[in-house]
Amino acid sequence: MNHMSPPPPLSPVWHPIAASTDLAVRHVFHGKLLGRELAVWRADDGHVNVWDNRCLHRGVRLSIGMNDGAELKCQYHGWRYASRSAGCTYIPAHPANSPSRQVTNRVFPTIERCGLIWAALEPDQPFIGLPQADWFAAREAIVHAPAALVLNTLAAEAVPRSLAWLSPYAMRLARRAAPDETLIILAQPADGATTIIRALRAGAPADANAWLRRINRVFVTLRDQIEAASPAGEAAAEPDFTPVAAELAEPAPAATAGLTVTVARKWQVAADVFALKLKPLAGTLPAFQPGAHIDVTLPSGQVRQYSLTGGPGENEFWTIGVRRMPQSRGGSRQIAEQVREGDLLSVSAPRHNFPLRRDALRSVLIAGGIGLTPLLAMAKALRHGGHPFELHVFSRDAAHLPFADTLRGFGDNVRLHLGSDPVQTRETVAHLLGPHGFAQHVYVCGAPGLIDAVTRTADHLGWPDEAVHYEHFSNDREINASSSFTVALARSALDVEIPAGCSMLAAIRAAGVSLPSSCERGACGTCVVKVLEGVPDHQDVYLNAREKAAGRSVVTCVSRATSQRLVLDL
Amino acid sequence: MITLYDYENSADCYKARLLLGILGLKFDIVPVDIFPGDDHRRPEFLDLNPLAEVPVLTDDGVTLTDPQAIMVWLAARYDDRKLWLPGAAESIAMVQHWLGMAARLAASAGAARTALARTDELDVAPLQAEAHRLLRVIDEHLWFAERERRFWLVPLSHPTIADLSCFPDLALSEEAGIYHIDYPAIRRWLDRVKRIDGFSVMSGIFPASRGGTATVSTTS
Repeated sequence: MNHMSPPPPLSPVWHPIAASTDLAVRHVFHGKLLGRELAVWRADDGHVNVWDNRCLHRGVRLSIGMNDGAELKCQYHGWRYASRSAGCTYIPAHPANSPSRQVTNRVFPTIERCGLIWAALEPDQPFIGLPQADWFAAREAIVHAPAALVLNTLAAEAVPRSLAWLSPYAMRLARRAAPDETLIILAQPADGATTIIRALRAGAPADANAWLRRINRVFVTLRDQIEAASPAGEAAAEPDFTPVAAELAEPAPAATAGLTVTVARKWQVAADVFALKLKPLAGTLPAFQPGAHIDVTLPSGQVRQYSLTGGPGENEFWTIGVRRMPQSRGGSRQIAEQVREGDLLSVSAPRHNFPLRRDALRSVLIAGGIGLTPLLAMAKALRHGGHPFELHVFSRDAAHLPFADTLRGFGDNVRLHLGSDPVQTRETVAHLLGPHGFAQHVYVCGAPGLIDAVTRTADHLGWPDEAVHYEHFSNDREINASSSFTVALARSALDVEIPAGCSMLAAIRAAGVSLPSSCERGACGTCVVKVLEGVPDHQDVYLNAREKAAGRSVVTCVSRATSQRLVLDL
Repeated sequence: MITLYDYENSADCYKARLLLGILGLKFDIVPVDIFPGDDHRRPEFLDLNPLAEVPVLTDDGVTLTDPQAIMVWLAARYDDRKLWLPGAAESIAMVQHWLGMAARLAASAGAARTALARTDELDVAPLQAEAHRLLRVIDEHLWFAERERRFWLVPLSHPTIADLSCFPDLALSEEAGIYHIDYPAIRRWLDRVKRIDGFSVMSGIFPASRGGTATVSTTS
């Protein structure tokens, strides 16, 4: 008998973990490699995801979850994870909030080759596999025996040639019964007691089904022999589940980590609007939720905010829309005039201050001009999830309507309102909103006049604040920074003096306490902090009237205090 | 009127509920408290089924006490399009083959599941071994069927009661300690059955996402 030395128990190499045909449309394959359970699924765009097989919430297997083509949904509490990044995009128990970006499942490197799905358990391993050729895969044989025993038995059955350059679990076999037919054998060590034999043949045989049945019979017979001869294997190792700490389910501060992206495409989508397709230089873009924006650092060093327009599954690229404003502060003009395809841009991770609920019976999206961008992402998410929605777009005229092609794809869900004056706009808004009903939500983004018309009309029609969601591009208010006061940071046990002319955000940072921010003009809400004591002097456009009156939170980049002392939860 | 004597956690009763739901039939349920109530051993129930088993279905003066027989009755009587129990000789024979397989699954995986759920003092290892033997054969059958773009147990373009009769014990087998990870073709077929129009769940069975291959509409 030809004894081979047993393969090492753990080797950081690529292993096949499934056949390409195992990943049926909208299916989640249950895989295992070296004792680790894997949830393997193909998104509708063809991307193959190989993840740890457990929901970060309660450890329930994601292999029993639902593949909706763009996201994987856990069966237990409905947490959703995006294709590619495995970032959590939605937690039904917190429908009005955004999951922390720290809730991201473990993603294993994967590649589809030779009719097989390959994965490596260690990151950053260069792929070593078979050369691309017309490989034809046999049906796998799952054998309840350790890999060394399976490989030794195979070697004794046929004439083996080592494929050690590929993997200690691979060999080339010429069966004695059919010496002209060479098979590549890849033994997948599922765990200490289970080995999956995957066999490849160069080129499809003339009668594929007859060949598949013949090879299947060979391996099934071998499997039965091995299992009959081997004592019951050691118990399969249970997967190691690590539930996520409860606080990670709460909204977390926006990340400060920067990314570098390439401008993969730049094209005009309206008379004064350019779209930019941004591609990561390396790796995968983090998950984002509908309504998210990113900070873009311009060539001049200025930072501007742009909403991501992609829907579920559109995470290979990010697409933003940039309007060249006549009174531009320079930001949008730089993108319009200076940024070219192939340029590199520094961007932030997505920030989520305009979250979309996915549990509404009716969602009304109202866009003014370039304010369409976050609502486009929302419309795509609602359509993908099968939720009813209406998208109303106000625009000067057809030439200024951004993303008209995309809008056409929404069919009857879109209503265009072209050339409407402020009075008409208010009438239209009142008509389209109607009285508030159970589980109805309105989202508006656009010029301050439109947001004002929608929020006032909604209030007048009895829509509660929590059903009215808006996002401002900027804060046009004149900021009065003349007051001086003291901020007490309760968690940091620090008192910080805020002199006239200096923002709370700047003074808090100068004192060494980190605080994320984005627009720094009181529009985006990234730097909101909870107020424990004192009276804020609100100067932002992010908090709504009720939140301002309650005084329990403050936007630190522009707002100040009317009391001498403000105690913050920092 | 159709009356089903039913125990909620029984895979055999679920077979009847599954087909009743898919055919869109109205029916009354008489709950039988098998465990812990032992209602099935009471004299009035034994008059219905001396084998002391659920489900029992009564309809139009007929009393049926076997889950596979109930499916045959419902399909033959109420499915005007003859999809669930096709009439060609070959199809009748093949459906019968899988109804027999369903009974074997109930006697192995199903019996192990019940014993484990009730913590009966019963050695389930032989039952599990037999179930694994059956599942290996079924997985192989379905794998080769997929190669020929056939997605159901009987080689037709649509599911039959063969699929519905085998589904409950296969779908619930993990509760019997028989894990699906070794049966990838069965896992894909479970998804396909779950996408049949009118499909209903029971405890331990989760729905599948919509929109996958072989999303089936069997209603006219």
